[in-house]
Amino acid sequence: MSDDLRTLRKQKRLSVNQLASKSGISIARLIQYEKGEQEIPHADLRRLARALYVDEWDINARSTPPPAPPAREERPARPPQPSRPKKERPPKEKKPPPKSSPARESQIAHLLTLAARFDIDRAALETEIGKSLDELTQKEARHWNGRFMRRIAEEQPPKRAIDRRRAYLPEGVDGFELAYLQEQQEAGVPLHFTLFDGQTFEGAVVGFSPYQITIREPGGDETTLNKLAIAYYRRPGDGTGGEA
Amino acid sequence: MSLGDELRYLRAFHGGGNLMEIEDEIGLDPGALRHMEQRYRRVGEDDEVLAKIAAYYDVPFEKLQFHRERYRKALSAALQQALESGAIARFELRTGETLTGRVRWWDLGAFGLEPEDGGPLTVVQRHAVLDWPLADEQ
Repeated sequence: MSDDLRTLRKQKRLSVNQLASKSGISIARLIQYEKGEQEIPHADLRRLARALYVDEWDINARSTPPPAPPAREERPARPPQPSRPKKERPPKEKKPPPKSSPARESQIAHLLTLAARFDIDRAALETEIGKSLDELTQKEARHWNGRFMRRIAEEQPPKRAIDRRRAYLPEGVDGFELAYLQEQQEAGVPLHFTLFDGQTFEGAVVGFSPYQITIREPGGDETTLNKLAIAYYRRPGDGTGGEA
Repeated sequence: MSLGDELRYLRAFHGGGNLMEIEDEIGLDPGALRHMEQRYRRVGEDDEVLAKIAAYYDVPFEKLQFHRERYRKALSAALQQALESGAIARFELRTGETLTGRVRWWDLGAFGLEPEDGGPLTVVQRHAVLDWPLADEQ
């Protein structure tokens, strides 16, 4: 006796998603099979049987459509609520503007320090402000401090650019060397390599990486040179620029 | 040649040991030697540590001090200066040769040196450079 796919899946406690990943059949198609919208072809039947550990004939090729879900009961409309009477608020009393508190000691001390930079003493400063420093409010002290700070900033010479002597690296880590090797490989010209131990090799570049260079020697042999072992290389020519 | 390159060279010629084992044997903090081998900036400021390393590899302490001054970023700065000025630069190689020419390009692995006589460009591996005129000597 065979069962519907949905029943078997539920028996095996698998979700549609899990069965889809086990069988390799898409979720959309599985839903179609379970709803009976489509008959399960033989190939998929075999896959599903393997995924569910059942025989092919245990699965109904066409499932019976599931019963339609019960329609939702409509809620009765809420009766209109009587609106609450608005409380009348008493009109706000306008507060008088806050009195600025007297300047802090630190503000006065800072002001005197700034003024001293322009050789202005306390008496001269009070003359410039037009009142005694003891009568200054916080707001006024802030204003005068800012004024002196701006004056200092204007009179200071512009800062010199720092000469960092930092090398600028315009390309990638091995960008230039790899570009050079690419050029030589495309040209097919041989290069002459000198290693740390004095050995020399000559051949056309057939491949390279940041760590190795493979060359084809005139005899046809391919040799891979480790870049850590290489001192320098160049196209064979007269100019060496070197001295032993 | 930087201190890092020299230390890698010495380690290779002393059997290519494991960094952690060598640090343990010398009595260095874990990662101290690895840090010195890999950094591009100047390293090895602690003379006491440098002396221990010199003793382990059986090389003169002054030799490691020499390489400490020739850190990788210093070579980058020298190459960039030579590239910008177009002046003839001189590089002593570990092979015992001295190459002279104009620096045409440089990257973190090598640099292109054009010989004075206009011969073909020589690609010099940076780790092969033993010495070059330092900034204060130029």
